[in-house]
Amino acid sequence: MNLAIETKDLTKTYKTSSGPQSVVKNLDLQVERGEIFGFLGPNGAGKTTTIKILLGIIDSTSGEASVLGNPAGDIESHKKLSYLPEKPYYYEHMTGVEIMQFYASLFGIKDRDLCERLLNRVNLGNDMNRPISQYSKGMQQRIGLAQSLLNDPELLFLDEPTGGLDPIAHIEIRDLILKFRDEGRTVFISSHELSDVERICDRVAIINKGELVHQGRLDQLLSGGRIEITADNLTEDVANKFRGDDFTVSFKNGRLIADIPDSAHPGEMLDAIRAANGDIVSVIPRRKRLEDLFLESVAGDNVLKGRKMSKMTDDHNAAEAVEVAKEEGAN
Amino acid sequence: MGAILSIAKTTIGEAIRRRVLLVILLVGVLFLVIAPGLSVLSLRQNYTVLTSFTLGVIQLTSAVIAIVLTVYLLPNEVERRTIYTILSKPVYRWHFLLGKYLGAVGALGMMMLLMSTVLVLVFRIMQQQASMDDVLQLATAPIFFFVQMSLLAAVAMFFSTFVSPIVNFFLSGGVYLVGTLFSPVFQDLSNNQTLPAAVKGAATVIHSIVPNFAQYNIQGGIINQGPELRSIELYYVQIVVYALFYIAAFLIAGMMIFDRKEV
Ligand SMILES: Nc1ncnc2c1ncn2[C@@H]1O[C@H](COP(=O)(O)OP(=O)(O)OP(=O)(O)O)[C@@H](O)[C@H]1O
Ligand SMILES: [Mg+2]
Repeated sequence: MNLAIETKDLTKTYKTSSGPQSVVKNLDLQVERGEIFGFLGPNGAGKTTTIKILLGIIDSTSGEASVLGNPAGDIESHKKLSYLPEKPYYYEHMTGVEIMQFYASLFGIKDRDLCERLLNRVNLGNDMNRPISQYSKGMQQRIGLAQSLLNDPELLFLDEPTGGLDPIAHIEIRDLILKFRDEGRTVFISSHELSDVERICDRVAIINKGELVHQGRLDQLLSGGRIEITADNLTEDVANKFRGDDFTVSFKNGRLIADIPDSAHPGEMLDAIRAANGDIVSVIPRRKRLEDLFLESVAGDNVLKGRKMSKMTDDHNAAEAVEVAKEEGAN
Repeated sequence: MGAILSIAKTTIGEAIRRRVLLVILLVGVLFLVIAPGLSVLSLRQNYTVLTSFTLGVIQLTSAVIAIVLTVYLLPNEVERRTIYTILSKPVYRWHFLLGKYLGAVGALGMMMLLMSTVLVLVFRIMQQQASMDDVLQLATAPIFFFVQMSLLAAVAMFFSTFVSPIVNFFLSGGVYLVGTLFSPVFQDLSNNQTLPAAVKGAATVIHSIVPNFAQYNIQGGIINQGPELRSIELYYVQIVVYALFYIAAFLIAGMMIFDRKEV
């Protein structure tokens, strides 16, 4: 039993005024011990709902969920895990160290030193005697992380830990999370910050409308990159040869910009451009970004499709601008 | 146990800072202080008038505080998501509910203690002729109000596991009114042999579900004594045991509902 979290066919259906609504559908997740697992999905995809089920705060409608080898919600597991909810709130009349002592007491821990050590660890050592009402968002998020370490957990659930933070607070928290992994903890993190996720997560799952779309190692999911070819002095009919599924092609004033999957035999394309006496300006291999994968995963949505296209075009315009600038610089 | 007490302590700390409660408390204290002046106006200015007026103020103020305090305890925790952090610790839901309840009772006790102190002071100053014994006698009344309010808080706690605060406010208030004003009536009805069985049955049901709040209204030792009453001490013990029984029943019912509730 080496999985920290495992769900099988996990389903949650809410009864709403417009009939039953499944917000988590047949979810199969496997989170390995000692990894940072990114749990992604658009707003309302069912991430928080899933986390609440895993913590036993709400019950699933059907399916199974086990956490640290016990059924979800088991109090024994709760001694070894911790949870930082999205947009957490702390009793404002208490000071930082009082809040820590309060949470510690829920584990039966009476160690004030430990509370202070953890506050120091998240850089709140100097503010520990100030009431929480005076804490900034970033400080509140840091005290949230500090309280989540009280029981030296094996598994941490962090629901949008960097939501609404400035870039510096952001980086601090990201670094803390990386250290958690170094300490051998498993981190289950839900986030909209794809660049963070890309930087720190070992594996990710992407869900959309309650359904699992992708799950796997980040490096594997992001392999199969794309190549962007830019060439000048071509005619429209040469450019038309490059149209195809999953190709993004623009042609203007003899300039072709083609964004193609690297599985699409780029060599043949380059040959075709040379054969038509075109000038190859640049060939840029691009690793797939998590953002691309994410947008792909939720692309059922028309709005998103539109956004994806326009974004691609923007990118090309930007690339064009750079090329023009280079040429001008050369002249 | 430690978790329950911590939750209670935190609840007290928060409750005694809640502005609404402090305002209600302030109004109560204000009425206590000006009570002697008011009783001068009511020509029959005497000890009894002052007693029933001030005790009435304490009772009413405490009841409003008990309800307003308790109906928001659980919903606020859910709304602010503090409950999620707590329930993700090794804390059972019944721990949480019990801790919240004990906190409510603790905060209520502190506020009632303040009012009772003001009450005693007012009598010491305004009724110089009253002996210390009289005043102590007077102070037993708030003690039983406290038992009464603890019971009321348990009722409100129970309702808060499944209705919204506003609905709860009227429900608990209603139960309190019925239990205070009509309990003796229902008791009589259920004991009346001449009534049809259906009416008697209904009266018995209501009488056993709605707690008898009336029995805690003890004014300077004067109570509605039944024939079976042997001593006042026995009566006190009886009504406290009665309260504990009902508190336990309401809390356990509340815990059972809360345990299945999606928060
Ligand atoms: N108690 C409830 N009753 C009915 N529907 C609910 C309830 N709680 C959540 N939902 C619905 O479930 C869906 C998933 O919500 P959830 O909070 O899990 O999304 P999320 O992925 O965490 O989104 P976000 O990124 O915005 O935090 C939403 O459509 C939400 O409206
Ligand atoms: Mg969420």
